[in-house]
Amino acid sequence: MTLGDPRSFCDLAPQLVPLDYTSCPDVKVPYELIGSMPELKDNPFRQRIAQVFSEDGDGHMTLDNFLDMFSVMSEMAPRDLKAYYAFKIYDFNNDGYICAWDLEQTVTKLTRGELSAEEVSLVCEKVLDEADGDHDGRLSLEDFQNMILRAPDFLSTFHIRI
Amino acid sequence: MLSDDQVNEIIIELIASLIPMTSRDRIKAIRSQPRTMEEKRNLKWICQQAKSRKMVDKEKSKQSRRMLELNCCAQCLNSISRVYRRSKNSLSELLDSVSLWQKTLKVIGGKFGTSVLSYFNFLKWLLKFNIFSFIVTFSFITIPQFTVAEKNTLQFTGLEFFTGAGYFGNTVMYYGFYTNSTIRHRNGGASYNMQLAYLFTIGACLIVCFFSLLYSMARYFRNNFINPHIYSRGIAKLIFCWDFTITHETAVKLKQKNLSTEIRENLSEILQENVKLTLSQQLIRFSAHLAAWVVSTGVAVACCVAVYYLAENNSEFLKNHKDPGAVLLLPFLVSCINLAVPRLYSMFRLVERYEMPRHEVYTLLIRNIFLKISIIGILCYYWLNIVAQAGEECWETLIGQEIYRLLLMDFVFSLADSFLGEFLRRLIGMQFMTSLGLQEFDIARNVLELIYAQTLVWIGTFFCPLLPFIQMITLFIMFYVKNISLMMNFQPPSKAWRASQMMTFFILLLFFPSFTGVLCTLAITIWRLQPSADCGPFRGLPFFIHSIYGWIDTLSKRPSSLWVVWIYRNLIGSVHFFFILTLIVLIITYLYWQITEGRKIMIRLLHEQIINEGKDKMFLIEKLTKLQDAEKRGNTSSFTLERRDVEVRLEVALGSSRSVQEENPKA
Repeated sequence: MTLGDPRSFCDLAPQLVPLDYTSCPDVKVPYELIGSMPELKDNPFRQRIAQVFSEDGDGHMTLDNFLDMFSVMSEMAPRDLKAYYAFKIYDFNNDGYICAWDLEQTVTKLTRGELSAEEVSLVCEKVLDEADGDHDGRLSLEDFQNMILRAPDFLSTFHIRI
Repeated sequence: MLSDDQVNEIIIELIASLIPMTSRDRIKAIRSQPRTMEEKRNLKWICQQAKSRKMVDKEKSKQSRRMLELNCCAQCLNSISRVYRRSKNSLSELLDSVSLWQKTLKVIGGKFGTSVLSYFNFLKWLLKFNIFSFIVTFSFITIPQFTVAEKNTLQFTGLEFFTGAGYFGNTVMYYGFYTNSTIRHRNGGASYNMQLAYLFTIGACLIVCFFSLLYSMARYFRNNFINPHIYSRGIAKLIFCWDFTITHETAVKLKQKNLSTEIRENLSEILQENVKLTLSQQLIRFSAHLAAWVVSTGVAVACCVAVYYLAENNSEFLKNHKDPGAVLLLPFLVSCINLAVPRLYSMFRLVERYEMPRHEVYTLLIRNIFLKISIIGILCYYWLNIVAQAGEECWETLIGQEIYRLLLMDFVFSLADSFLGEFLRRLIGMQFMTSLGLQEFDIARNVLELIYAQTLVWIGTFFCPLLPFIQMITLFIMFYVKNISLMMNFQPPSKAWRASQMMTFFILLLFFPSFTGVLCTLAITIWRLQPSADCGPFRGLPFFIHSIYGWIDTLSKRPSSLWVVWIYRNLIGSVHFFFILTLIVLIITYLYWQITEGRKIMIRLLHEQIINEGKDKMFLIEKLTKLQDAEKRGNTSSFTLERRDVEVRLEVALGSSRSVQEENPKA
């Protein structure tokens, strides 16, 4: 973590966040401001990222949540930690598994409506075929981690630069 | 979802496992936990409290004094290691803040993605090499030479920047200017043997480069190890490896469009996988590949012959005509070959058809590498066999000048290509033939050019010690030129490029054949060639290596340095030592290879076990639902017993499948 992080948090909403954070006020920056940060504003998954790292899952983040987010998305975070949070981001209905519906949401966000509905469902089928190790029709965290092991680019792509 | 009691149990187990660890391991373990910052802080605080209470208890139970002292020592070491870690952190923070070009690289990564960024990172890495080489050679060879420099009597004309000859021939730039004497300071003070300094400095640069390359290669290999048995051309990787570093809006939209295209291609590939080719189609493809390989090899050989022929005739031509600009003809030809032939190779794509696009990329790379290596090879052969033994006055300086001219011409051509060629291509793509669109950054070709230039620099440092400085300036300028050209004339890449695999391949390429070729060339120079009689630090010796022999002889007369002589005679000079060393290395390699094979088998078996456990689970779940339905309908107790039995077996199956899946990544 660099010195810049609490400062960039304060820059988001200077009227809300006091620069002197030693008395630990319980300030929450609303999601709209987080989603308009230059590092996140064009990311298709910005809403999911904010929801996963916020305390109540609603997208409003405190400084601790903010630091959490950037520490996981930095270069130094270990691969298992990144895989865990990536899994949570892609799990849209928060049930602990990536089911076919979650996959459809992911693919739609990634391709922005370029693919037809049957192409999307075909893709989801193929992904489950490839990655589902215990054949229960959905991806558990272990399946996801196994699949990420085969993708050496994951560490460098699941990364937000500050 | 887990109940509160289960959550508390897990946390208590976690704390119990964390307390006996050393503080360094504990911090690492807490950091890798997927919990919020607050929870991690609380965990750390709890562990610290528990540990300090344990230590107070220990003291209360009246341990011997020795144990107390040991605790003090351990605390001392702990505090020292803490201070060291903190200073390391603050040093790395400082380095990051002054890191070169960090903002520019972030912008490039945001607009073009990780793959194009890897080229610029490679350039930055090569720049660090050259900065280090320059600092070392400048401080140990050039500065001492300045203290005994002779006056330069030649005229300075502007042409020297291109030819490297003339005025520059009598400066510290080339080997020929360096003195062979032992520089003495104030008659009886410290002495500085220029011959030894020259050899040892160049040797030290190369050794540091060698270990740095080895370390980088090992690190990339370890991060990219993919078990070939379970590697798949998957669609899952496309979906889950979205590039979060892209931050520019148009780049994101473009990437989404390209991703959809690629997914469609992937789907059609998977659907077409079962299509088999007929015999005649296979034969046509095979003959097309064969013809393409024959033509490309033939072109490479023809270029080498042309270069050699021109080099031979050039020297005769130069003796008859004293035109200083004529020496530029050979570098001009070499740069033209490097410009035109790779583009010719790319056109083979129209004739050849590949099953996988990956094969196409690799084939193109191999052909380009073969061309560049054979050109460097033929030039080295010419220099070492013809120029060095032609009896010229100062052949080392001549070779140094040749290499300087090659590098400079290469740099000029790259600039022209970036400013004119890419600009023209953009005009054509945007105004005249809009169907072509903007071009994409050809990472492979650009990286190969960097490797080619670096190989020349490594060979040339012996003959022209200021060459790392020139390469440093070149790389610095190239970074900005390529950056500007990228922003103006290019679009982001459309295909997912396996950046990390490619970087591994490029670094491997840099090591072998590039670096090993350099080592071979320099070894031949030092052991087999005769230095020129009138210039340079080794003038008059029969071979370059005789300076070391002479030094060992003088050392053996001094009783205080006999250990150096012993090391030289018995370790470096003896064959038995290297034989035993090689044998040990081979044995260790064989053992590690067997361990890897065993692990591969274990991965395969565990994978099969996961699939079987999954099938068991499905079977038991079905049976359970059937029994539950029957119980609801029949309402008899016998079904209840059977149902409980199936539930227990299902719990066991769930537990074991989770443990097998955890074992699998660890293997």
